[in-house]
Amino acid sequence: MKRFFILLAVGMEILYAQWNYAGYIHPSEMISTLTGKEIALPFRLSEFKFSYTKGDFDLKISTAIETRWSSGKTEADLREMYVIWYPSFGEVSVGKQILAWGAVDGNNPTDNLNAYNYYYMFLAGTDRKIGSLSIAVNYYAGDWKLTGVVIGEHRPNKLPFNEPDFPLELPPEPSHFLPVGDPLEYGLKAQITAGESDISFSWFKGHDRSFALADPEKFTVGFRKTDILGVDIVRFLGDVTLRGESAYFLTGTDFNSPFQVKAEYGQYALQMEYTTLSDITLNAQLIGNQYFWFSGLTLDPALGPVPVTKHNFQMGTGTPFAVISDSGLLTSASGQLLDNRLELKGLLYKNLKDAGTMLGGEINYSPVENWTIHLALNQFIGDSSDPRNVFTTLEAFSHIRAGVEFNY
Amino acid sequence: MKIHPFLKYVDLTIISVILAATSPAFGQTGYDVAKSVDERPEPADMKTDLTMILTNSKGQTRTSTLRLINVDGGKKQMLWFLSPADDKGVSFLKIEHDDQDDELRLWLPAFKKVRRISSNKKSEAFMGSDLSYEDMTNRELNENNYELLKEDEVVLNIPCFVIQTVPKPIAESEYSRHVTWIAMDGRYPVNEESYDHAGKLLKSKTFIFKKQNDYWIPTEIYVENIQKTHNTRLNFKNIHIDTGVDDDLFQEKNLKRLPIE
Repeated sequence: MKRFFILLAVGMEILYAQWNYAGYIHPSEMISTLTGKEIALPFRLSEFKFSYTKGDFDLKISTAIETRWSSGKTEADLREMYVIWYPSFGEVSVGKQILAWGAVDGNNPTDNLNAYNYYYMFLAGTDRKIGSLSIAVNYYAGDWKLTGVVIGEHRPNKLPFNEPDFPLELPPEPSHFLPVGDPLEYGLKAQITAGESDISFSWFKGHDRSFALADPEKFTVGFRKTDILGVDIVRFLGDVTLRGESAYFLTGTDFNSPFQVKAEYGQYALQMEYTTLSDITLNAQLIGNQYFWFSGLTLDPALGPVPVTKHNFQMGTGTPFAVISDSGLLTSASGQLLDNRLELKGLLYKNLKDAGTMLGGEINYSPVENWTIHLALNQFIGDSSDPRNVFTTLEAFSHIRAGVEFNY
Repeated sequence: MKIHPFLKYVDLTIISVILAATSPAFGQTGYDVAKSVDERPEPADMKTDLTMILTNSKGQTRTSTLRLINVDGGKKQMLWFLSPADDKGVSFLKIEHDDQDDELRLWLPAFKKVRRISSNKKSEAFMGSDLSYEDMTNRELNENNYELLKEDEVVLNIPCFVIQTVPKPIAESEYSRHVTWIAMDGRYPVNEESYDHAGKLLKSKTFIFKKQNDYWIPTEIYVENIQKTHNTRLNFKNIHIDTGVDDDLFQEKNLKRLPIE
């Protein structure tokens, strides 16, 4: 009898809560414009998001199905599962979740709370991030928003080892990853709204998301500890929106290795946004790295141990685009036509340090509600006289991407 | 009996004054009418489900459903998109300030970010509709000049004042002027024509209000962009007023969760 009443109580709680779900199914294909062949990388075929709301609590779950046409291999991924409590002062979320910091679109030097899945590094938003176990608190007080994060596990970036179709040159897959000494990571952020501006200051203490060499003979790698100080700002000047973000990284080897590296470097992203009278949004974003100081040795494949310089230093964290170039200008334009049924996007990325250009265009058309046809072209242009130029290696990744998406 | 001409004149004058004094527009200027609209009793709060139908020149439509909660005559407003599926979860917060620029914030679930939008982008269309952000915010009484054009014109069987509103430079309006038909009884807008800075008719708006609990509440708004041959229809349903909406609702954190039914 007792069990019956318990089940009844639970059932009533479930019935009188609020349920929401949403998701998509999005089969797509990437074809190389160089070879005309399929680019055999996995992609996210579908995603399902579910939320349960009861009083001041939400439970949110996000799952995905990843597949690869060439092998037919399919994997399920529990991307997020967390509880949010909404007290009067703000919000507290606990669980496996994806968090987002930063004011700029897409390339955020201060957003280091989650690792990146490099299979999806060219996607936007949370699609390219990996959830991790964390507690996040947002406290709102007037014009202030204070955020505290404790991440209970160290998650490195997911790198596509042994993927011949992946465009970026990666080192061989290490034989062993040294676990970090203290996996706990911490972050604090303070944001203030002052008139036409939002200004934020942030601090993050954790470990790199990309590994560094520990033992070259056993090919063991580890993750440097890194402190990050960040600032970001949003400011409106007439019809122009300015967004800026900058981060200072202080990193050092804290694992057993003959290559004890210490370094200070920075990343920045400055964005200007303007919407025309025809509702076309124009964006220009300047992204770059700055190297301040290095000490220690690294391993040169040809020369052996050499001093660390900006030419051989590998950043372990920060925005993924920093891997491609030290300074670049990204310009884009997007517009919606036919009552938001047709979206057109164009972008141009110019490497400002060396030769290298990325051109992209996208058409998204929704003939019927909840259905969208996607067509995209991404073309990379490098330097034929420099085979080591990143954009030269990316030329092989130039592709057309086509897909159909159903949203529910 | 012969009436002295002076007395006749006095009688007529008195009669005219009496008639004028009882006329609704007696002594009223355009500003007075606009002020009476601004001071019209409004519920402390309102919750409603909105259907927004966009129709293009070919007659093709796109329908979105939204939930809207506002307080203080719309000075604080929160809006959640419920459909179509690819817009679901997007939400919008507006807080109007008297002494500083309005705050507009957009929650984008795909990025897990609250994006602040410039309140200067008043002419930008709201979610592809024919309403601009300016159309969605209250007009400050003292940021416009008013002129009473007609004291009595019947539109949609409703006797109306007709006033012209000319935004002052401080308003930074996308419009050069509005001609508005205001219901005499109720002091709500019935029709409005809005002109661009070239003096051409840009938008035509029709409002349908109904009385609910002693308040005049909008139940339908129709906006036609004359120059683009495009229109937007907003239908208000399930309207609940004076339910005691907490001011604390209008915070960034509440953008991230769909409103509880």
